[in-house]
Amino acid sequence: MLEIKNLQAKVEDKEILKGINLTINPGELHAIMGRNGSGKSTLANVITGRDNYIVTEGSVTFKGVNLLDLSPEERALSGIFMSFQYPVVIPGVNNTYFLRAALNAKLKHQGLKEINAADFMRLIREKLKLVDMDEKYLSRAVNDGFSGGEKKRNEILQMLTIEPAFSILDETDSGLDIDALKIVAEGVNNFRNSERSFLAITHYQRLLEYMQPDFIHVLIDGKIVKSGDKSLALKLEEKGYSWLDS
Amino acid sequence: MTDFQNQFNTLLDYWPEEDQSLRNLRHQAFEKFNELGLPTKKWEEWQFTDFSSFEKSDYRLSWTDDLPQLPREIPGRIPNTHLIFMINGHYQSQLSETPEGVTVSTGLDHFKSNPNHYSINKSDNPFLALNTAMMNSGVPILIDSDVIVEKPIQVIYLMTDFSEPLMNHPRFSFDIGKNAHATIVEHYMGVSDQKYFVNPVSQVTIGSNGSLDHVRIQDENESANHVATTKYILNSNSRLKATCFSSGGQLFRHDINLDFEGNGGEATINGLSLTENHQHHDQHVVVDHQNDACQSHQLFKYILADKSSGVFNGKVVVREHTKQTDADQSNKNLLLSPSALMNANPQLEIYAEDVKCTHGSTTGQIDKEALFYMRSRGLSKQKAIELIIGGFAKEILDPIKNVAVKNYISEKVARWLEEAIIHD
Repeated sequence: MLEIKNLQAKVEDKEILKGINLTINPGELHAIMGRNGSGKSTLANVITGRDNYIVTEGSVTFKGVNLLDLSPEERALSGIFMSFQYPVVIPGVNNTYFLRAALNAKLKHQGLKEINAADFMRLIREKLKLVDMDEKYLSRAVNDGFSGGEKKRNEILQMLTIEPAFSILDETDSGLDIDALKIVAEGVNNFRNSERSFLAITHYQRLLEYMQPDFIHVLIDGKIVKSGDKSLALKLEEKGYSWLDS
Repeated sequence: MTDFQNQFNTLLDYWPEEDQSLRNLRHQAFEKFNELGLPTKKWEEWQFTDFSSFEKSDYRLSWTDDLPQLPREIPGRIPNTHLIFMINGHYQSQLSETPEGVTVSTGLDHFKSNPNHYSINKSDNPFLALNTAMMNSGVPILIDSDVIVEKPIQVIYLMTDFSEPLMNHPRFSFDIGKNAHATIVEHYMGVSDQKYFVNPVSQVTIGSNGSLDHVRIQDENESANHVATTKYILNSNSRLKATCFSSGGQLFRHDINLDFEGNGGEATINGLSLTENHQHHDQHVVVDHQNDACQSHQLFKYILADKSSGVFNGKVVVREHTKQTDADQSNKNLLLSPSALMNANPQLEIYAEDVKCTHGSTTGQIDKEALFYMRSRGLSKQKAIELIIGGFAKEILDPIKNVAVKNYISEKVARWLEEAIIHD
């Protein structure tokens, strides 16, 4: 589904990614772990197409299409989603309106009929229950006045609504208390199936207790230095990252 | 160059039988205008606006001959409102309707009964003096005490086709009686491409316990000069909710002055200004707290595209020995182009102790994080920008109570955004 080959990227002349190779197949959940500054978020930003990230080498293909040629919205429409580490507040833009516009952009892209407001309300009320969010968040501006945990739930709500084929969870666990973490993880787990893939970026093994990753990769200084199954997370928890430093 | 003296003489000749006291006022005002001259860059309160185009244009007053064929459909009509209609400066009473308790008076009658509203003051600016000297259109609208006018009154001041560059000096008075309530939409629009100059003065008086929702729409054509003065007087416990929506004009200058003449008044003045190409919008607001327990709130937003420019100068004065003043003033500007320019100068002058005052001003560009966030959800860049700017404008539009009026302006904003972003 997603194939990353020898990916090298820089931000403002600083080389961050130094040759990433990673293949994610349908149905798989991969976790990327690593210290601050190791390049985890840069990888997420390069895949989603944020400005100022310059790819100097390598390729990223998604369902056989070169992602790097596409705009952020084209990537989103082709099935890529990111739950943001820091979801953005958009004053004056209604959350429900935004969610519906996002879903309709996808439906339109797929040549399907757009969803009307009434049908959307029925749909979104169902999805709200899955992340245990109050309906009051629907009438607010996007992320406006949301606590850290509410913002993260709102990200997952968007994922459940848009139903992307490939989702990046960028530090979705940070800022969540244990109850919220369980709800978010359960939202993701119920959403998993044999078609959908995930890339979870995290500092801690904590999130992975609630989501079962198929693979864990350790990123150090812009390179994947170790890959393994979920026992690797436990080892990292116990020993830290230093045993992997070259 | 516009020969104001010649135009003034023509006006006096046109109405030879005019009331002597009104005529005296005109002379005094014209003298004041001559004494002041047009503003220059050296005038502190006028320094960011260039009035030199007045020297290149030759405006003349609009006469009955300039009354065009009436349009089959009046543009800009907001549904479910009472209409007061003027075209090229000429009041069309047959197309206007006034509900019960509302009177459209004549300028002379209004002047006779409220001479102080017309008297020349030391602080008058040249355009106000020019208006008083040449006032040739506009109407006084009186709302009787205790009358609640359900539907908004839409005053349309339309400029349409004419042969030469015209000027008009409309004088409006909106007198809201005690305990009365009304919504007045003061709507200026131009539908031709020709150059013209509109110099309105609106005097708004709200009686005790009265309230007014005042929506001012400045939708002149892009070659027009629109220089305006709005004076609000709020008597005790009266309320004003004003929204100034402005998207037209090559040069737009608006001076808003608000005086609390009794205790317990409450005023909100919001503004939304949209500029593109080489448009220039300059708004000056002075709110004078000279009585107790009055509240004033100002929020002015500008959205500037292309090489357009804006000026916001807001001042709140809290006089000595006043109590319980609550005043805030905020100015937020969004630059859509690197060539757009904004000058903001919020000021507080506080001479009392029992006050709660805040003010602030910010100018920035579209939030790139927000833009990326929305695009990462599949929205096109265009759609995302529209939503972000629309969200920015919403804070001004939301408080407009009448839904039809709000929708009218929201649609204007949406259409403006589509165009401004496409050619950006």
